[in-house]
Amino acid sequence: MVNKKYEQLNDLIDQYLNSFEIVKTNDGTSITLELKKDDLIEICSLLKNTEALNFSMLIDVCGIDYLHYGVGDWETTKATASGYSRAVQQNTIIPDPDEKYQEKRFAVIYHLLSIDKNWRIRLKTFTGSENPPIVQSVTGIWNSADWFEREAFDLFGIYFDGHPDLRRILTDYGFIGHPFRKDFPLAGNLEVFHDDLEQKVKYRPVSITTRPTVPKVIRKKKNS
Amino acid sequence: MEKRCFGVGLEKQENDLIIDQGAGFVITSIDKLANWARTGSLWPMTFGLACCAIEMMHSGAARYDMDRFGVIFRPSPRQADVMIVAGTLVNKMAPALRKVYDQMAEPKWVISMGSCANGGGYYHDSYAVVRGCDQIIPVDIYVPGCPPTAEALLNGIIELQRKIKNKN
Repeated sequence: MVNKKYEQLNDLIDQYLNSFEIVKTNDGTSITLELKKDDLIEICSLLKNTEALNFSMLIDVCGIDYLHYGVGDWETTKATASGYSRAVQQNTIIPDPDEKYQEKRFAVIYHLLSIDKNWRIRLKTFTGSENPPIVQSVTGIWNSADWFEREAFDLFGIYFDGHPDLRRILTDYGFIGHPFRKDFPLAGNLEVFHDDLEQKVKYRPVSITTRPTVPKVIRKKKNS
Repeated sequence: MEKRCFGVGLEKQENDLIIDQGAGFVITSIDKLANWARTGSLWPMTFGLACCAIEMMHSGAARYDMDRFGVIFRPSPRQADVMIVAGTLVNKMAPALRKVYDQMAEPKWVISMGSCANGGGYYHDSYAVVRGCDQIIPVDIYVPGCPPTAEALLNGIIELQRKIKNKN
């Protein structure tokens, strides 16, 4: 089903953004633009400041880690009593500064809303060839990007160049690592406890080992 | 105990010396009197952290009405006798929990409410969750459940009253 509402937006994007190298996906109900990260600021300010488009509101900014993307943990024909979990693999928590990521390991997604036109659009840009992965901050265009970008930085370790106050927003003070990265171990590396002698809440290495938490059941179809 | 004696909710023990001369008085130990007073006015410091706090509110509201047991929620640790840790305790909150506990005046008790506060519960394997609030503060009563019903918390409070009564 094609939504008539987006036909006009589709044409306007073709008109205004034809000078940029973008991949447009229009499934009739939503439009996604995949763009190069060097064009991000220019395209965002164009989307906001062009009268005919007027994307005045930034709904959300989020990150994606494409490590292990499309790799099925559960693809097996054998049954197991121990379950499957990628979190069981022990990995390093502190990112290696020398490690080079794949060019499309991380993505940053922006959701925009045009209030007076009632249009929504999704922007997607890949990063990851540098370490740490970095994209330009859009806080200069939409103020609401501030905490969204802090969240993406906290959980994925994506740096936002030009952000006024880029520090962790959700995890503990002094937290090490970025927990939403696919190579982050589920149990982390530190746990808190209260030291009765020193009368102080302190940290120590985790006392538990990561274990699979997802059971697997294979049901054979009848007559096959 | 004779008819017109002033009973203070204490069960008569074998060795208790109770003299009734018709005027109506009772002799008991100071410890027992203090324990009786403490059980009758357990003022909890609410530490509502997650969905257990909703269940805690239910037990405080009209249907279960914890006021009947002298349980009146206090917003300040300075006025509280018991802390009800209701919900998931995360690493970032742990120092704050300990600080509030330290601010409570003696004597003080702790009720750990729900699986998460008891031992991490559903989030036991998480990188951000304390595996039981007894890692941070000493706990008197563990109320199981996810979340425990309002009745279960009420039972936990009655159990704590029993525990205090049997002290000394």
